[in-house]
Amino acid sequence: MLKCKINGKEMEVPQGTSIIEAFKLSGQDIAHYCWHPGLSVAGVCRLCMVEIEGQPKLQIACNTMVQDGMVINNNSETVKDVVRWGLDFHLINHPLDCPICDQAGECGLQDQYMQFGKYDPEMAERKVKKRKVVDLGPTVVLDSERCILCSRCVRFTDEVSKTHELGIFNRGDRSEIGTFKDRPLDNKYSLNTVDICPVGALTSKDFRFRQRVWYLKTAESICPGCSTGCNVNVYYNEEGLWRVRPRHNPEVNGHWMCDEGRDTYKYVNRKARLLEAKMGHRDNWTLESPGAAAKAAGQKLREVIEAHGPESVALVLTGQYTTEELETAVQKFKGDLGSSLVYHWVNNPESFEDFDGILLRGDKNPNTKGLLKILEQEGVSLTWKDLESRVQQGQIKTVVVAGPENQSVFPDFVEKVNLLAGVENVVWLTACPHSVLDSREKATWQIPLKTYIEKAGSFINHQGKTQSFEVGTVIVSSALTLAEAATLLVGQELEVSSGDRLAELTRKKNFFTETRGAL
Amino acid sequence: MSIVKKPKAISNWYLPGILSGMGFTFKKLIKNLFNPKGMPTLNYPEEHYQYGPRFKGNHVLTVKKDGSLRCTACMLCATNCPADCIKIVASEHEDPTVEKYPISYEIDMLRCVFCGYCEEACPVDAIRMGPEWQTPALNGGNFTYDIQHLAYRPNLKGGIQSRLDDEERHKAGI
Ligand code: SF4
Ligand code: SF4
Ligand code: SF4
Ligand code: SF4
Ligand code: FES
Repeated sequence: MLKCKINGKEMEVPQGTSIIEAFKLSGQDIAHYCWHPGLSVAGVCRLCMVEIEGQPKLQIACNTMVQDGMVINNNSETVKDVVRWGLDFHLINHPLDCPICDQAGECGLQDQYMQFGKYDPEMAERKVKKRKVVDLGPTVVLDSERCILCSRCVRFTDEVSKTHELGIFNRGDRSEIGTFKDRPLDNKYSLNTVDICPVGALTSKDFRFRQRVWYLKTAESICPGCSTGCNVNVYYNEEGLWRVRPRHNPEVNGHWMCDEGRDTYKYVNRKARLLEAKMGHRDNWTLESPGAAAKAAGQKLREVIEAHGPESVALVLTGQYTTEELETAVQKFKGDLGSSLVYHWVNNPESFEDFDGILLRGDKNPNTKGLLKILEQEGVSLTWKDLESRVQQGQIKTVVVAGPENQSVFPDFVEKVNLLAGVENVVWLTACPHSVLDSREKATWQIPLKTYIEKAGSFINHQGKTQSFEVGTVIVSSALTLAEAATLLVGQELEVSSGDRLAELTRKKNFFTETRGAL
Repeated sequence: MSIVKKPKAISNWYLPGILSGMGFTFKKLIKNLFNPKGMPTLNYPEEHYQYGPRFKGNHVLTVKKDGSLRCTACMLCATNCPADCIKIVASEHEDPTVEKYPISYEIDMLRCVFCGYCEEACPVDAIRMGPEWQTPALNGGNFTYDIQHLAYRPNLKGGIQSRLDDEERHKAGI
């Protein structure tokens, strides 16, 4: 351990720590653009200047290692002056049109120039005009004028995605970021460049101009996109979710996440959701509240069991639910209904074990490990073949399916629904509607469930790491969790949750009136 | 109870008071009949009071030289609005130098408190408080003003020019 003093605060840091990391450890602010903890050091923005006692010139904190006994500060007048003029260089050609810029509100440059009062650059010369709204690829848009050439995005494509699409072209004040001919920025991690871009030069096509960031609230969650279980922050307002961004967790995803995971917010929003339960069959549906529909379906379940015995009812589970929900569902089903027919629906067995070397895994369920654990714990070891043969022999009269939340990663969705076409009653618990369910000929109950952001629980990722998360926001308030649905299906009543929880939810819903317009 | 009742004998002598009051009224009536210009009141609605130029009335969205909206859909006005009555939907403009513009801009006038904070927040002089204040409507009248009304209502005669134009800004190399 090395002893050092940062802005007068005694610190001990491990060997090989750079000064900027020591600053971060000590919790003190330091201006920086090009340094990113997940990338190599470039040292191009010259903003992280610090004064080291005994050294005549200022040094950049990102590329200087802490040595024993160093006394460092970044709050002397010299440092402030240097940063101020460094900023001025950054602003020479920067348009400073924050009102239009989508980064405003979370922009490093905006924060810094506001802090240092550099509202107008001091250059008399005209600004160099560069390309605006450049289409870099299917996901990202570039505004060269706003780019401060920190090279984070280039380093990302070189070091993390290893796809090398981006580069800095031209020289001097004509330098700009670009892609090579016929090589657009098109990889599975491209949107990370948008996150790490400290200014509004790279913006996501999906999120650009849709919302102002200061209108959005953040909640921590776990990405349900695959079994890696990246830690994420979701950004939402009262209309729903708007974007998903990675949250740093060195053990799971580091600083990154994939583009696929960022799309998972789409099926959560009201537009894509099943808002009311549907009971009936093709061309003859009645709408019902989820709770009432679940009770009605439960009534039917018990009638079927009385007539044909418990082995005529089967439960199909997917690894898309929290461990707690799955446990309740299996226990209720086995304990209260007495049927031991519980099956695991594996969506893509061929590519289940795939891994792209960075984050993406072939198992597109966040909680396959959790499901397997619960099945083992409850002593269930039936194969899908068994269900198929039982259905074909007509032994099964009713199937309860905890369908996938994210239907797009279940290529065999239609196939599985068709497999159950001959089953007399199907209770399909699902967050989103699907046309193939609507065209079922036999009796069907479609009961809306809550999505990952609307419930608390935990996922077990591919490493066997349990990651729990809390309720972020509520989008379809009447929808049930799988545990609630299972409770109603076996004919029990739901426990009314405590008042605190309710107060918290209503408070969250009303955040707009509380925070906006506060003067 | 703090109602003071005067002795009855005094309140019986109300007639002189009434008469002197009536005298004052008739004096004014005759004076006004012969000299209507001296009246301190207005004959509303034939006559209108002229408010100062800084009066905060119904909003106007300004336009650029080519007649398109000046607003860049930055939503600073909506953020600043204490009544939360401005709703903007932004979109990508086909001209990359304009970049962003509102495809819908609505102000709910019944919630607006005419504080003018939106005007103050706007970085590009795109919204101003105009001089109009009489905008009555019958039952079911529409008080959610949209772009068509805010920028191009007939009495604006094709729109009010913004002081800041993108074109000039780009020419000046800013
Ligand atoms: S990049 Fe930052 S400083 Fe530049 S215009 Fe956008 S918000 Fe403003
Ligand atoms: S586009 Fe953004 S991340 Fe890339 S060099 Fe420019 S400012 Fe840095
Ligand atoms: S005048 Fe005040 S209340 Fe009315 S729209 Fe503007 S900011 Fe909102
Ligand atoms: S009126 Fe002005 S402040 Fe409001 S969105 Fe338009 S440009 Fe921004
Ligand atoms: S962060 Fe150190 S030079 Fe950019």
